[in-house]
Amino acid sequence: MRASSAVYLFKQGIRNIGTNHIMSIASFFILTVSLLLIGFTAIFYANINSFITDIEGKNEVIIFLDEEADDEYIEQLGEKLKNTDNISGVSFYSKEEAFEDIKKDMVNAEDIFGYIGDESPLPDAYRIKIDDVSRMSNTLYTINSFDHIEKVKAPYDFVNILTGLRSIISVILTVILVLLIVVSLIIISNTTRASVDIRRREIDIMKFVGATNTFIKIPFFVEGFVIGLGAGTAAVLITCFFYDKLVTLLSTETTLLAAVGSNGFIPLDSFLKYIILGYLISGAVISAAGIVHSTRKYVKV
Amino acid sequence: MVEINNVSVTYDGVEALKDVSLKINDGEFVFVVGENGAGKSTLIKLLIRDVKPDIKKGAKSSMFVNGFDLVQLKQRRVTELRRTIGFVFQDYKLIPNLSVYDNVAFVLRSIDAPNRYIRKRVPQVIALMGLKDKIRSMPHELSGGEQQRVAIARALVNNPQLIIADEPTGNLDPRTSAEMLVMLKKINARDTTVLVVTHEHELVKKLGGRLVTLKRGEIVFDGYIEPEVHHKKEASTV
Repeated sequence: MRASSAVYLFKQGIRNIGTNHIMSIASFFILTVSLLLIGFTAIFYANINSFITDIEGKNEVIIFLDEEADDEYIEQLGEKLKNTDNISGVSFYSKEEAFEDIKKDMVNAEDIFGYIGDESPLPDAYRIKIDDVSRMSNTLYTINSFDHIEKVKAPYDFVNILTGLRSIISVILTVILVLLIVVSLIIISNTTRASVDIRRREIDIMKFVGATNTFIKIPFFVEGFVIGLGAGTAAVLITCFFYDKLVTLLSTETTLLAAVGSNGFIPLDSFLKYIILGYLISGAVISAAGIVHSTRKYVKV
Repeated sequence: MVEINNVSVTYDGVEALKDVSLKINDGEFVFVVGENGAGKSTLIKLLIRDVKPDIKKGAKSSMFVNGFDLVQLKQRRVTELRRTIGFVFQDYKLIPNLSVYDNVAFVLRSIDAPNRYIRKRVPQVIALMGLKDKIRSMPHELSGGEQQRVAIARALVNNPQLIIADEPTGNLDPRTSAEMLVMLKKINARDTTVLVVTHEHELVKKLGGRLVTLKRGEIVFDGYIEPEVHHKKEASTV
């Protein structure tokens, strides 16, 4: 294609936006709303995922050792645990520390433990953290195969709830996202169909004089692409404005997240570039695909 | 050149054209007439490959338009065929927000012609149609006849081998209709094959020439008729 033709087709696309300004405005608003729904669903998912990851990070598995484990073995076991897959933090929790902690935590501990004396009746232990809680069972199976393990205390129920929750939320939000994208495509396609109908005369002429399908579709593609970029930009600005406000409001007004062990919402800065790229690309693609799709009835040469 | 042999077109089980055979030589001027539903539009669609001819087993069907074998023609080459044909629509189909110049240039732009050629060719064709002083006018500023001349200019601008005019006089008064046909005759005189599809038998009888009559999808007449005006002149001289 000649450069002059490419420029001409691009200009045609831009001209079409002005010529069909009512449809263009309708497409712009519909697309902006669709993008915001898609965007906020994705952001919601990212935040839920982050909350769950934060909470998972608080999980702790305690490995109690039996009385026969001597100092040398305890040290070796520490190394073994550090080299075991899916374990991120390993810290030794001696029976003396455990005894002191219990004494501090319990009211009238002196009375209760008075007759025991200063020697801890508790076992030595290791505290570890699991990287990927969904693989916790395998990791614990490995740990249990080591010698001198008395008992392993792991938050199974908690982990199962979190893993299940993450799976359910992932599935639900993925379905919602896909539905939103499909619905957006259908709405945009229907909205632009009227605009394509208006230009049926031009399409007919182009068809009959021997213009290729691509040549006919390019102005429509440009039109959709530019409207999509505009809607994407609007969605970025709206998201930035409202997300910051929402985060500020929820962070100051509630301590719920902190209570469950989360570090709070993902800061906007950390995903701004993804938001910009996501909105602009999906806006342009959905809009261009929608409008080109609505031309298929007439453009088939 | 158009050469159609034993070609049929079927829509949803109904034969719109039945075993049609037709040969139009280069430089001919042919009227195709017929009532509504006779198959005129299907014939046009067939010529520009908007519909495909039926391929029947055992039937010796063939169809050539401007050197293209339409029975074998691949879809991606349809655009090449159409670039050899100029099309005049019944309702002109001018783009209302484009000037006369841009309406005509639109064709060349649509087929990726160079800008320099567009700037040279478009004013030439507009002048040929006697619309030089209307080159910057918008379609709504033109009369029906002028709009149809723009439509003809648009069909002519790509130097087609064949011009197909679909009811070119359908929306015009008798005098302008006659002028339009004279215009098409002039174009034909420059060796461009012209096929005019119309239902106005009277006008065709007045002008005379080769006439193809379609009835219920079949060609029921293909021959030359003398112009009525000519007969009257002859009668008056006798």
